[in-house]
Amino acid sequence: MTLRDIPVLFNGPQTLGRGKLFWLGVAAVIVAAAIYPQYAERFAISNTAYFGVWVFMALGLGLIWGYGGMLSFGQTAFFGLAGYAYGVIAINLGAAHSYPFLALICALAIGTAFAAVLGYFMIYGGINGVFVGIVTLSVTLAFATFMNQTAGPQWRIGRARLNGYNGMTRIPSLSIDWLDGHRIRFEGATFYYLVLGLLVVTYLALRVLVNSRFGNVLVGTRENPERVELLGYDVRRYQLGAFTIGGFLASLSGALYTAWGNFIVPASMALPAAAMPIIWVAVGGREDLTATLVGSFVVLYVFQALTVVSQEYALVAIGALLVVTVLIAPGGYVIWAVDMASRLRRRAGPSPPLSDPALKARTQRG
Amino acid sequence: MSMLRNLAIASAAGLMLGVSAAAALADDKPPLKIGLLEDHSGDIAIFTMPKVHGAHLAVDEINAAGGILGRKLEIIEYDPQFDNAKFQEFARRLIEKDGVQVIFGAATSASREAIRPIIDKDNALLFYAQQYEGGVCDGNMIGTGGVPEQQFSTLIPYMMEKYGKKVYVIAADYNFGQISTEWTRKLVTEAGGQILGAELIPLGVSQFGQTIQNIQKAKPDWLMTLVVGNAQSAFYEQAAAAGLHIPMGSSITIGLGFEHKRFKPPTMQGMHVVMNWFEEIDRPAAKAFVARWHAKYPNETYINDMGENEYSAIYMYKKLAEMAGSFDLDKIRAQIATGKACIDAPEGQICIDPKSQHASHQMTLLSVNADHSVKVEKVWPRVDPYWLGQIGCDLTKDDPKEQYTPSNLPSK
Amino acid sequence: MTAFVYQFLAFAYQVADVFAFLVLAAGGLAIIFGMMGIINMAHGEFITCGAYVTTALVRAGLPLPVGIVMGALFAGVLGIALERTIVRRFYNRPIDSLVVTWGVSLIATQGALLVLGSAWTSVGTPLGSIGFGDYSFALYRLVMLAVAIGVLVGLYLLFMKTRFGVHARATMQNPAMARALGVPTERIYAQTFGLGAALAGLAGGVYAPTLTLSPTMGTGFVVESFVTVVVGGADVLTGTAPASAVLAIIRAACTAAWGQVFGLIGLLVTVCIVIRVLPEGFSGWLMRRRA
Repeated sequence: MTLRDIPVLFNGPQTLGRGKLFWLGVAAVIVAAAIYPQYAERFAISNTAYFGVWVFMALGLGLIWGYGGMLSFGQTAFFGLAGYAYGVIAINLGAAHSYPFLALICALAIGTAFAAVLGYFMIYGGINGVFVGIVTLSVTLAFATFMNQTAGPQWRIGRARLNGYNGMTRIPSLSIDWLDGHRIRFEGATFYYLVLGLLVVTYLALRVLVNSRFGNVLVGTRENPERVELLGYDVRRYQLGAFTIGGFLASLSGALYTAWGNFIVPASMALPAAAMPIIWVAVGGREDLTATLVGSFVVLYVFQALTVVSQEYALVAIGALLVVTVLIAPGGYVIWAVDMASRLRRRAGPSPPLSDPALKARTQRG
Repeated sequence: MSMLRNLAIASAAGLMLGVSAAAALADDKPPLKIGLLEDHSGDIAIFTMPKVHGAHLAVDEINAAGGILGRKLEIIEYDPQFDNAKFQEFARRLIEKDGVQVIFGAATSASREAIRPIIDKDNALLFYAQQYEGGVCDGNMIGTGGVPEQQFSTLIPYMMEKYGKKVYVIAADYNFGQISTEWTRKLVTEAGGQILGAELIPLGVSQFGQTIQNIQKAKPDWLMTLVVGNAQSAFYEQAAAAGLHIPMGSSITIGLGFEHKRFKPPTMQGMHVVMNWFEEIDRPAAKAFVARWHAKYPNETYINDMGENEYSAIYMYKKLAEMAGSFDLDKIRAQIATGKACIDAPEGQICIDPKSQHASHQMTLLSVNADHSVKVEKVWPRVDPYWLGQIGCDLTKDDPKEQYTPSNLPSK
Repeated sequence: MTAFVYQFLAFAYQVADVFAFLVLAAGGLAIIFGMMGIINMAHGEFITCGAYVTTALVRAGLPLPVGIVMGALFAGVLGIALERTIVRRFYNRPIDSLVVTWGVSLIATQGALLVLGSAWTSVGTPLGSIGFGDYSFALYRLVMLAVAIGVLVGLYLLFMKTRFGVHARATMQNPAMARALGVPTERIYAQTFGLGAALAGLAGGVYAPTLTLSPTMGTGFVVESFVTVVVGGADVLTGTAPASAVLAIIRAACTAAWGQVFGLIGLLVTVCIVIRVLPEGFSGWLMRRRA
């Protein structure tokens, strides 16, 4: 492989956006995000990091649902499991040494393993279509119901009280001790940079993944599983792979959320919470990673802004926003906006700047 | 779409109001911002809206009388939508972005526990104007609602003497219900009684067929009900319809949930509650307060204890700031330590206990008649929140920021 | 011996009570899902709507049965309106229909709180109670059971004996073919959605006297109704009814043995097992055996 082959890894038929202009834009956004903490106030930095924390779960769902065609309604089960695992382990080990970081790794392992097991039973058990959604929803609701009743003193794991509906509080923040004893505490701007770094890595890694053979087989399975099977692929392996990666990303969101807020509750796995990732991804755009990422982030921001501005009208406004978006931009508003922009430009000038075959295919299909 | 348009109009009007209000105050000192964090939506909004109203009523009155130390109050409020994660989000926003030092809010124990670590970390002050399961020993929190030693230590002996020693408990399955059940168990067994059964019910459950049968099978002398939220309060309707007529005691019905206004008589007949406030209290200060409230909020179904407690909490803050001559939280704490922080609330005089930072109250025991009118059975002119002090919580000396229960006492 | 009989009767009563609840809660959802493949997230709000209309009419002086029927009708009309304006655009996009109806449910719940206010006095449970042994039961709960059975019988007659039923079943099995044969599928869809909404409204009306009236009350039905639909599968008669019966026994037994929490958890675990064993629910399994 030479240096020239690298762009091929990141680009391909399964992602929108290619060419110098797009990648320059990506670089500009990363640079802007990196210098943002120099100019923003403490609350804004921490709040932006908080939005970023949720985007991992959205990207995971985008992979499972948008690329794999399986609607998981229970990403919050992995989110919550990893969150609780981080909380229990971090409280028991304490903040000394790099223990919270160890807790993060363990939490990710537990959440991902659970996703793999659940995915195995579903996918190899022949559950598909809307029933994947219902099974995963049942799992997350059963989990939430169970955690809700752990308020009594008998529900403790080591030093950590599970605390029922109230949830666990005072969970240590993430920290790493270097060999020389210097401790990095991931709070405020440091946490922001951690989330930003992880987001960039995740985004690029997923781009490589979906443009690889894995991604092509996965999308093929979404469109026509029988045909892909006839070509000699074991589609279930690819679906399980996607489901497990999605579970890993939801676990990452869960563990980071718990470390950020020092707090995890069963409600984070219950019905309204379980529907939220679906809404971000559906509104933002699910069949493209960039659309999912940008879309989820903006939706999170808009929902919060609406809640702050309109008080008790917020839920009405959010509901209306959902209805309108799904009505006029069925593929998600990001893809709709890109499409609109390219149409306008085509009308203005002769050269279509977004001559992307994938986009064309998509717009024709939509 | 008219909803959207209304929304736009409402927000535009809000903006203009804000501008004119700011103009009116421009030549004064800048207003003092206080945070208000109560649910405007969600499962318990019908009980928490009176808290919002109480806060606004108190602030309007205080501002009309010149404010606190010459500064008017300005409420910054958000709707956490009965979501504990949003409680955290907005507590952070209030303190870190809006620069608020004092927050009034949180209804459920869960929402309080969610925001307490944030309040503690940023060294702000939380007025928790809410009757609850008690036991929070935290220098950054002032509790102005009833606690178990005020509600259960009065109610349970009365019920055991009047109706008998065999008790059945049904409670919401979360910390409030569990700890209140713990209290009931402790007080009943200490007085030689017996708990025949204690059933914990998940929040949101609305079907009680099996629970009613279990009670009938156990045949208790009376029933302690600690059910929470809209869905669970259907228990009363279903129990009455099934012919379960039994004396009941509670720390949260009537005064908080105004079930006697929400259900058709005689559903709530035989209910006994001890609280520091009922709208029906027949004393001049209370009557005047009720009249002022209904003048401002004519559609209020019932002014519950949460509403009165929130109102009083803001006046308590005024008193503390005036005693301290400053809004500085350390100076305010020094005033609490004197034990002289008392105000005349609508319910009567309330004072802050320096050791636990909870309020003393005048407690009233009501029973509900068949036509849903209420009868005052007994009044305790002053009950102090003594339990925390007794078990070793002394915030004038040490601040553990813990919540204690009868089974989780401070380690010595 | 008599104690045992009473014990058994008490358990049977609990099973019947849960059965009625599941049939009424899930009926409307099952029809819409089974016929149109649409997951109606605003199902709970139609229940709420029926409950409020019933209560308002009863308080205005009408007898309760009239109130309940009007509540169901009102919900049905709202359902048709929603179908005509929004839902009909989503017949080939089931997931988008889920998102859009979720949006509608948010608007409806919070809108109801803003417009109707929060606290409504309930109308009280009619009829009295009967007792045997240590136990006594509300007679009205038996009425609920009767209504649930009535709904099942009514649906059977509707789908098997009427022209609408023939058209509806044809549309469900093969919409394109039905359209080619002159079945007005558009109208069938609207009517089906309206019927589902009306059944939800009926559930709300029937349960209104026994519950606390609040804008969020419908959510209390949602989890149970989804579970029943999933276990039952696409058909109301061969799916929802047996699923309700099985789930009622499981829930009543778990609740009696270990309390309410495990009643709920037992329900959710059953779903996972049933989907694993019978991916298309009871009705799919029955169809296949018949075929």
